[in-house]
Amino acid sequence: MTTELFNQEFETVTGPLKSYILRITASIADAEDILQDTYIKALEKLSTFREESSLKTWLFTIASNLAKDNLRAQKRWVENVTDITKEAALTHKEFFEEAMNIRQTSPQGQFEVKEHIAFCFTCISKSLPLEQQLCIFLKEVYEFKVAEIQTILNTTEAMVKYYLHTGRSKMINIFEGRCALINKEGACHQCSELNGIFNPKQNTQHEIMKIEMAKEAEKGDKEHLFDLRMSILKEIDPFKSKASALQLHHLEHNRQVMEKYSEKKSV
Amino acid sequence: MTTTEIKQTNGKATTERTTFSRTTSVSIEIKADPSIIWALLTKASDYPRWNSTVTSIQGSIALGETILLKSTLDAKRTFKLKVKEWEPEKRLAWGDGMGNRVYTLEKSANGNVIFIMNEKIGGPVFPLFAKMIPSFDQSFEQFAKDLKKESETIMNSK
Repeated sequence: MTTELFNQEFETVTGPLKSYILRITASIADAEDILQDTYIKALEKLSTFREESSLKTWLFTIASNLAKDNLRAQKRWVENVTDITKEAALTHKEFFEEAMNIRQTSPQGQFEVKEHIAFCFTCISKSLPLEQQLCIFLKEVYEFKVAEIQTILNTTEAMVKYYLHTGRSKMINIFEGRCALINKEGACHQCSELNGIFNPKQNTQHEIMKIEMAKEAEKGDKEHLFDLRMSILKEIDPFKSKASALQLHHLEHNRQVMEKYSEKKSV
Repeated sequence: MTTTEIKQTNGKATTERTTFSRTTSVSIEIKADPSIIWALLTKASDYPRWNSTVTSIQGSIALGETILLKSTLDAKRTFKLKVKEWEPEKRLAWGDGMGNRVYTLEKSANGNVIFIMNEKIGGPVFPLFAKMIPSFDQSFEQFAKDLKKESETIMNSK
């Protein structure tokens, strides 16, 4: 493959690659650094690329290896991350002031419930073991096949299936227990509460009922609800969406809170 | 009884009693890669998700580590157990002063896995409390059934 063709093809993969790394590291700076390192490494090794896999698979392999070595990717959060970070946000006046400023001034400062659902999944997925988190994103969001994930993560087909199944089961259980969008008894209403703050003129319930997952909730098919949640993530580019500025601000806040939380726990 | 003496793989538990010990065993054929079965057997926190006989396991299932296990056999009791053997995809054993539980994975002639679970309890004072210890048979059969179901579900997933 020529450098020129590689550059052209790299450009087409940049969006998914960058969002994948962001969702693994929860850090804008690390996503940008790893993306750049992936480009440099791929270009250096271009002569060894024998097209046994697609270029997309090869680039995700390089990026995954870099991400696995990244300390922020390695850090595991807790299932109730959104409770911890909400409490921190409520006592952090500047966080809301800055969020309101983004909401009012940025063209990418809208608040949408769907975008918050994707953001929430990113945060909670960091409570899974790293391998399970990587497999879930690769399969359910970036639509790689099991055999391709096997190549990307340099593991066996059986272990990819194990990581996918256990990761998926855990995430289904967590959301079933927490998310008020799919379970009336769920304790977390954060997306509704934030919609009330950022979109005070909207009827939040009306907005929620526009979301397929919320509409389907009463049927109680947990697997289907998880698939619908994943389809929301597939639609959203966290760097380019209408709500990206607000959600990235929120993600940076959550990461900083969780880093402090981990430090406290380890003392 | 050694694991090789067990011929049946029908998931039915058998118990042998002597004056000073009791040994329960179960064996079942599982159509899954041994790495999946091993991963399920060694991930402590994940047990309650797939295994209906285990309420919780705290700690790390690794050689020399101590785990705290709660089971449906005696809901009020927490068993403090040490991991004594740990040979990936082949053999795992944990136990305390009263007895040992051994999990063995063997390859069957048709390429599947024979899962064998064996527990021997006993000692010099065993006759004094033998009647107070409930039968393990049903729990062992359920354990093997749950492991087979979960392993094969994962193996057959797309």
